[in-house]
Amino acid sequence: MSSEHDIRTAVIECNNLTKVYRTTWSGRSKGICALQDISLRIRVAQIVGLIGPNGAGKTTLLNLMAGLIFPTKGHVAICGHFARSMEARQSLGYMPESPAFLGTYSARAVLKYHGALLGLSRHEINQETDKLIGQLELQEFADRPCSGFSQGMKQRLSLAIALMNNPKVLLLDEPSNGLDPIGIIKLRDLLKQLRDSGTTIVISSHRLGELEKLTSNFIFLYRGQVVSFDDRLVSDQSGHLRIEVISGGNDITKQLQSKYSFLAVSDTKLTINVTGEEHVPNLVCDLVNSGARITSVVLERENIENVFMRLYNERV
Amino acid sequence: MKAYELIKETYLRKSLFRIIHVLWLFIYASLFLAPWPPELWNWGQFLFGWSGCVLPILLSAGIFGDDIATGRISVLVTKPVKITELYIYRILGLSLQGTLSLLLSAGIIFILHSATNRGSIDHLGLWLLAAWLLFNNFAILSTSISVVLRRANNSVALFVGIIFVYILFVSMMSFARENPVVVMVMDILKYTFPPFELLYKFANGRYELVKQISFVFHTVVLTTIYGLVGIIILNKREFRCVRD
Repeated sequence: MSSEHDIRTAVIECNNLTKVYRTTWSGRSKGICALQDISLRIRVAQIVGLIGPNGAGKTTLLNLMAGLIFPTKGHVAICGHFARSMEARQSLGYMPESPAFLGTYSARAVLKYHGALLGLSRHEINQETDKLIGQLELQEFADRPCSGFSQGMKQRLSLAIALMNNPKVLLLDEPSNGLDPIGIIKLRDLLKQLRDSGTTIVISSHRLGELEKLTSNFIFLYRGQVVSFDDRLVSDQSGHLRIEVISGGNDITKQLQSKYSFLAVSDTKLTINVTGEEHVPNLVCDLVNSGARITSVVLERENIENVFMRLYNERV
Repeated sequence: MKAYELIKETYLRKSLFRIIHVLWLFIYASLFLAPWPPELWNWGQFLFGWSGCVLPILLSAGIFGDDIATGRISVLVTKPVKITELYIYRILGLSLQGTLSLLLSAGIIFILHSATNRGSIDHLGLWLLAAWLLFNNFAILSTSISVVLRRANNSVALFVGIIFVYILFVSMMSFARENPVVVMVMDILKYTFPPFELLYKFANGRYELVKQISFVFHTVVLTTIYGLVGIIILNKREFRCVRD
């Protein structure tokens, strides 16, 4: 487990990150701004979900972290090193959205090949290969050519490659693509284990429900900008307070509408937006003081899907 | 281990071309056994033409372009491998393919010539060396083009480029040989384009040793420059995970 000091250390650091894709060779046109002035720090042993609508800049941010593309402005540091440096790559495991392998190679040969690229000895390569084949349940396909692999098998093999040599930082682009439900559950457990052992994981995914089971840390991107990040998004997990009263719902609303945000009102039912559960007791007191005769109070928390939709609708 | 795996991967990547190697050996055999004996043929020239020019274009097809197009390169460049190493080991794998093909072809030519006494194997060693130098020159030029172009377009571009330059060269020689601008363009082409002519002269063995060495030196320098350009572009380029 990581120490107190380690937990506060930023493993991934983006400072004023801007990425503009040129649309012409001459570079005369303005180009497409995929990311705009992004600054964020991701601490050790964290799982962070990278979310946002299509074209928000998720893959661009992941590519910048992986050192696959260069920032137009600003910089990315992985474990304190420039993202494309050898030192950064020593600490990095990357899984692309659409993995591709040499078709003639078997899964075992692919893993050995990548083990060699990591500079492992023959003994270490064999040990790591056997461990990962077991961990990701690739035994049945280990010696078959990759060309015949299903999408799910490719994803598992790609994850095994990313996990070789226990990276400190794991960047995953849609890791559960093509996985069956059992595969998804096992992937989730594996990622939690890795986080507990100190690995920092950044996942770009559209499967919000899956991400929510892994983490409460999200980076919401919209049109190349961070709309919400980390604790802000967590505290944004507000909810709705559904209150049932005997009667007079409309009168109560008139008295309190300057103080609270009423989402739905009828004579017997009130739905009020709350930004955190700590506000509930005061709200209930105010309702009672306004003469409400409450029969039921239910706090419905927003899940990440609701937060996503709310943030998206706010922007659109 | 790293070098071994990268060289092996390059060596094994175009399994289809093993068939081309074998086919070529059959062509050699059929030429030797043809009813119309090519008495004046120099077998070294065949080696030079096929293994020096055609084979590298075929073997280097998509050497980086395939990785870039499939997105495979995005995983390779996140591993702690210097991009220069990646380029050099790919070239070594390619060169190994060429070397083995050349040696095998030369061995077969030698055996068939000894058995049939058809054609000539004069300066076969020099032709072999010239073909090897030309193979590497073409292979490295094609690899450097592959850093920029997707899939196997590097080979197509090189093939079309050679034909274009050849036609340009012949046209200039025929119609405007005395024009100073044409002379300058021809000189530039002669010294920056793959040194086909110089190595041909070298393999003929008609020049003195110093000149022969200078031909080889020029080829090595040109090959190194092609390689350096490829390495610089590969280091500077981005690898977006967008598949074609």
